[in-house]
Amino acid sequence: MDYKTITYERLGETLYEYDHPTGLKAFLVKKPGYNKKTALFATDYGSIDNVFKKSDAQVMHVPDGIAHFLEHKLFEQEDGNMLEKFSKLGSSPNAFTSFNQTAYYFTCTDLFDENFRMLLDYVQNPWITDENVEKEKGIIGQEIRMYEDSPGWRLFFNLLDCLYVNHPVKLDIAGTLESIAKINKELLYECYNAFYTPGNMVVVVCGDVEPEPVFTTVDNMIKSKDGGRPEKRYPEEPETLNMEYKEQKLRVSMPLFSMGIKDPVRLSGYDLLKRRTALGIILASIMGRSSELFNRLYYDGLINDSFRFDVAVDQSYGFVNWGGQSPDPQKAAGEIRGEIETTVERGIDPVVFERIKRSHEGVFIRTLNSPDIIAREVMDSYFNRTSYFDLSRVFEELEIDYTNSVLRSLFAKTAALSVINPV
Amino acid sequence: MESATVKTTAEKLAEKDGIAFYRINSNKFKTNRVDIFFLDCLERQRASANAIIPSVLKRGCKEFATQKELEARLEELYGASVDGSCNKKGETQIVSFHMSHIADSFTSGRDKLFDQCSQLLMCILKNPVVEDNGFKVSVFRQERDNLIDYIRSRINDKMRFSFFRCIEEMCSGEAFAIPDEGYEEDALLLTPQKTFAIYQEMIASYPCFVYMSGSIDDESAHRFIEQFSQITRTGIKRVEFPDTEKTVKEVKRVDESMNVNQGKLCLGFRTNIAPSSADYYPLVVYNGILGGDVHSKLFRNVREKASLAYFAQSILEKYKGLMLIMSGIEKENRDKAEEIILRQFEDVRKGKITREEMDATKKSLRTGIKAMQDSQGAIVDFFLSQHLTGDGEDFETIAEKLEAVTIDDVVRVAGKIRLDTIYFLKPDEAQPQADPQDEPQEGGF
Repeated sequence: MDYKTITYERLGETLYEYDHPTGLKAFLVKKPGYNKKTALFATDYGSIDNVFKKSDAQVMHVPDGIAHFLEHKLFEQEDGNMLEKFSKLGSSPNAFTSFNQTAYYFTCTDLFDENFRMLLDYVQNPWITDENVEKEKGIIGQEIRMYEDSPGWRLFFNLLDCLYVNHPVKLDIAGTLESIAKINKELLYECYNAFYTPGNMVVVVCGDVEPEPVFTTVDNMIKSKDGGRPEKRYPEEPETLNMEYKEQKLRVSMPLFSMGIKDPVRLSGYDLLKRRTALGIILASIMGRSSELFNRLYYDGLINDSFRFDVAVDQSYGFVNWGGQSPDPQKAAGEIRGEIETTVERGIDPVVFERIKRSHEGVFIRTLNSPDIIAREVMDSYFNRTSYFDLSRVFEELEIDYTNSVLRSLFAKTAALSVINPV
Repeated sequence: MESATVKTTAEKLAEKDGIAFYRINSNKFKTNRVDIFFLDCLERQRASANAIIPSVLKRGCKEFATQKELEARLEELYGASVDGSCNKKGETQIVSFHMSHIADSFTSGRDKLFDQCSQLLMCILKNPVVEDNGFKVSVFRQERDNLIDYIRSRINDKMRFSFFRCIEEMCSGEAFAIPDEGYEEDALLLTPQKTFAIYQEMIASYPCFVYMSGSIDDESAHRFIEQFSQITRTGIKRVEFPDTEKTVKEVKRVDESMNVNQGKLCLGFRTNIAPSSADYYPLVVYNGILGGDVHSKLFRNVREKASLAYFAQSILEKYKGLMLIMSGIEKENRDKAEEIILRQFEDVRKGKITREEMDATKKSLRTGIKAMQDSQGAIVDFFLSQHLTGDGEDFETIAEKLEAVTIDDVVRVAGKIRLDTIYFLKPDEAQPQADPQDEPQEGGF
């Protein structure tokens, strides 16, 4: 059997890579000594893919939330629910839909091959009926209602609404009660047939298993399907913000604030990893726990332990964001804007740069303890045309000059502010 | 070549003056960690002070006097982490401190990270910044405010809030009603001096468990244990587990209104089963059948069949002998949801359990026990739990005990469980204007 073996000696990890003739890619990350085995089967299709051109050249506009709806529906099979079938083997199945991906996975400790076959089989065999679509609307409706009451989610999506004028990343992943009402069996099959093709999918396994049997199972289970990869269509997104400020009132104890900057640079591959890493270091140097700013704001009671920052940069959208609880979001935001401005002028202190880079490398190495994180990151990296383990090389090669140039170009832009105030 | 399964054990290295030291050796992880747990009886007089101690200690020590210096030092140590927290297990309040760092093999230099990081942890624990026989005033005040903010922010997460309120109502008058982080009113009465005195009490007299995990050689382990020898330990407290038996005279019903979209239903039960009783393992299987996972009666009937909720599950509080069932539903479905939930409860009691439900539950528990051994944090939590109840079980014996549970055992324990309180967080008539627009990401089915 023909597969590639890549050993990352410094990380103590081995990656096996297999190309299926249909164009499907399969990976195995071997974890000796681990009891847990996880496998993930994912499609490069998420909540932002609402407009696409099918292989027959027809352009489809589908209701918001359909990728997530489809994710729920795939668990249903003609002869019963997949959740129960996995349960019979003692394994726990789950799935998630993000902005750009839909992934189905399970974790087990025994009977890996049986579980793995079941995963590969059910994702390729949807059983969608008018009746089970209607039933699901009740469940997803409650999922949407749950998130309406979640201040953290509201805060985040209000920020995205500030950042984006047109891009569907601002739309909610599960859609709305109104949009899911429009979903039916026919539309679900249209989306399924367009995006669930082997060429648009990846399989990732992580655990103490051997490559040969894993890839043989992939070989036996993947059925070739007609139709290539659909062409995703995203609207033109201006560099300007949709709005600088958005506020909502909810039942919270003190205001929550979230700020963000939209990144207009679209990259993929190694360059994307490099930019993400640089952005993480920039944010940590400006507002991380060892920074002047964090400690000043914390000391003055303008932020507390809930303060976090994050980088979300992908092939088709990108932004950085930060925030937490604050008794005075406007004041905290003003202080942060001021510090960003100063840092853009001065650049990052080289000592701080090296120290944070080292710290972030340590955090990366920690993620390798978890098969679940590894599987997700390997998937995400593949869809972004790179390899998660190449982060090791990024940490070796990343320089302060490059980082400062990213700082100067991106952080000179206006940051938007989203606030949730107490009712 | 599958690697042979290695037994996960906690090796007792020493026990002195009420501090027990354990080592959990494994070379499959890329990190080493140390976890220190101080135990106290959950009592109102000390609950808030206990809760604030880790937050104050995290702010600096003699060697690294400010949070900024301390955090910079952790970054130098390859993103090491030093943290502290406070929670309760039953009516025991646990003040804990944690340290973790990546193994030396991933660093470029000759760093002995374990020694450096454990010294930092011990500096925080033993040498806080002190003025006027108390914690540093400015730091103390900020952390007291933060604690109060944290207590108030309980309302932000409506499910967590409902869970908390259900317990508060159910256990009113019992120590377990005291929240993990104490009360706002009590926090306001604390002073840097009073809190420092309780910190000294913790160091000197709270029973303590210490776990070292990763690949830590004898010499490093003993050097670390040695650092405790300068602590004067005296009058070690006795911490006992509460009585788990309680007669319920009448089911308590509590409805509370809030301007939210989704209602949260929370049912509290008394299991009347002690953590070290022989009935505990049948209880775990019982919970799995009723509402533990996707194969459970609650998930299948409330969610999959009736389509009333996105989630419906039951969880156990081992040490206090409680079980809670939770679900998020529309206001108008409240009676229907309650009826379906209670019917599942009755069905198990009457022995309406299928072979499939029993098998799926046992297999899922077996998988859980094996998978737990792939996480350093979960392993520590497992052994702490065993050491607290004095059972000293290991993963294998527990797996065997769960395997041996029969349907009769499950029905027997089901007969002991009593509904105590039904709490409903009810959406107001005037609902908030949440223009529905955002969403879930992880873990959706």
